[in-house]
Amino acid sequence: MSTSSPMIAANDIKKTYKDTDALRGINLSVSRGEIFGLIGPDGAGKTSLMRILCCLMSFDGGTATVAGFDVEKQSGEIKKRLGYMPQRFSLYPDLSVGENIRFFASLFGVERDAYQTRFAELMQFSKLEPFINRRAAALSGGMKQKLALSCTLIHTPEILILDEPTTGVDPISRFEFWEMLRKLARQGVTILVSTPYMDEADKCDRVALIHKGNILAVGTPSEITQEFKHSVLEIEGANLFDLRRDAETLPSVVEVHLYGDRMHIVTSDIFRCQGELQAKLGISLESVRKVAPSIEDTFISLLK
Amino acid sequence: MSVIRHFVKKEFRQVFRDKQMLRMLLIVPIVQLIVLGNAINLDVKHVRLAIFDHDHSEVSRDLLSRFRSSDYFDIILADQSKLSALMDRGKIDISVVIPEGFARDLGSGSTAKAQLIVDAQNSNLAGIATGYVNGVFGSFQEDFRNRMLEKNPDIKSKIHSVEVVSRVFYNPEMNTYFATIPGIAVLLLTIITTLINALNIVREKEIGTLEQLMVTPISKFQFVMGKSLPFAILGYIELAIALAVGMLWFKIPFAGSFLLLAFSAALFLMTTLGAGLLVSTVAQTQQQALFTAWFFLVFCIIMSGFLTPIENMPTALQYLTYLDPLRYMIKVTRGIFLKGSTFFDLKYELAAMAIYGTAMFALAIFRFRKSTT
Repeated sequence: MSTSSPMIAANDIKKTYKDTDALRGINLSVSRGEIFGLIGPDGAGKTSLMRILCCLMSFDGGTATVAGFDVEKQSGEIKKRLGYMPQRFSLYPDLSVGENIRFFASLFGVERDAYQTRFAELMQFSKLEPFINRRAAALSGGMKQKLALSCTLIHTPEILILDEPTTGVDPISRFEFWEMLRKLARQGVTILVSTPYMDEADKCDRVALIHKGNILAVGTPSEITQEFKHSVLEIEGANLFDLRRDAETLPSVVEVHLYGDRMHIVTSDIFRCQGELQAKLGISLESVRKVAPSIEDTFISLLK
Repeated sequence: MSVIRHFVKKEFRQVFRDKQMLRMLLIVPIVQLIVLGNAINLDVKHVRLAIFDHDHSEVSRDLLSRFRSSDYFDIILADQSKLSALMDRGKIDISVVIPEGFARDLGSGSTAKAQLIVDAQNSNLAGIATGYVNGVFGSFQEDFRNRMLEKNPDIKSKIHSVEVVSRVFYNPEMNTYFATIPGIAVLLLTIITTLINALNIVREKEIGTLEQLMVTPISKFQFVMGKSLPFAILGYIELAIALAVGMLWFKIPFAGSFLLLAFSAALFLMTTLGAGLLVSTVAQTQQQALFTAWFFLVFCIIMSGFLTPIENMPTALQYLTYLDPLRYMIKVTRGIFLKGSTFFDLKYELAAMAIYGTAMFALAIFRFRKSTT
């Protein structure tokens, strides 16, 4: 296989559950060594798409290849080259760290010598070495995630598919986890990762924004935000709900996005907007600053 | 092969690490066998009998003492006017009323009558208790006739006597343990192996490891074997425990071939483990699995003829029992255990079990393949 052909390719994938269209014609292409992010809210179709690519679920239309093999016909070849971490990665809580990894290695048919080298590598990589004999049930959330990744990596897969790997993991472990993914990508591993966290999108090489079974946009994080034609003003503070309602009534405001204690006001005319904010809502110029549109802003505007 | 071996290792590691599970598997069966072996006793003893003697003759007192000396009866002393009240309250199971003139009628050669009143709420008990009472009357009559003959040899020609001599094979002491222990052993084997397989696979579904296994290159067949083999081994351990309890505690002689029993168990385990796997394909939670499996287990246990003889069931239901795998295994186990039955003695049962086992296991694998893609 040449390096230019995609490691993951989906053409017009459709999936229908009883009465809902989970995927409405998904096209996707991921190159070798790329970290590709699937960004979208719950129910967007991320998990369905990933399960189809892992040969775990049948689909109703389109074709897909992983590592050049057909998802429907060559699942055996794909499974040898693929590491999949479901949203709720599951380990045997009553087995130790070492036993879990050893068991998965045996399922992938990893030879003894290769296993010993790989195991040592992974222990160093994941910093799990001191916990080899600890039961998986007794690990912290972040460590569980690292063990899960180690189990997924034990057979040195060419492709990793990770479904919301950092959901429910503390910020430091999240940061370390992404560092690990970056290292893997540098080694040539192709990574398809989904996340509901918009800030993680910036850590991907390319992302696809997915919503209700459709891909809204694909590109590098900066390409995606460049598609955003408006400017963004940010206001920080508490109790922004009332302010949001008032701001939305201003003529120069296109839309308002609220992110906890930050509010993004989207406008096509910054100066007019700042004037209106000051005149009508009494907000001083100092408390408003212009920021670059985030992927989140782009995503929300694309939804509207 | 090495994948299956690792599976077996992993399952045993998990079973032996779970102390609660281990107790359930090793100690509970012993306790159950000993308790149930004593509790499920189909002999009827200590029938509460009230006798009302209005004759007060030597003959009636003789009859009374025969009832007293039998250990099947506990004699209840009561006032006849309270009989029906006592029976309502369940204090008396059966009562015999000997009317005035009983001895006189018997001596004169006319029919002497006695009244038998039975509480037939439990028809099984009532039937057996009536039999006992009739038995006592029978031997009483026999002795009475012999005494008459001694006094008056002339009437011999007028009395035809038929004597039935019974001989009981295989269990000469009519020990109920002999029938119940092999039966309970099969029940334990059925319950444990069906449930353990169903619950174990559904547990992997619940914690999500099943999906994880499905993205590895192992085949469905390897998975099924990896699950079934360790539990088949556990099944054999259970069977060995049950045999040991039966032979050492209840002192039941093992008349047949251990090898044949092991072979029969293999056929039977294909059925129970297959049933467990089948349940795991429809259940999403361990609770659902437990209910589904239990529903069928109760059905199979009742229909197996373990507690009530199949011959007592309505004809249509008797045919239905041919669909019950337990029916065959109980018969085979009792046969090998008590009678030393051979392969050829049991060929129909073994053939039925082989067909059942193969079909169940194949169906389970088929359903499992379908349910996981």
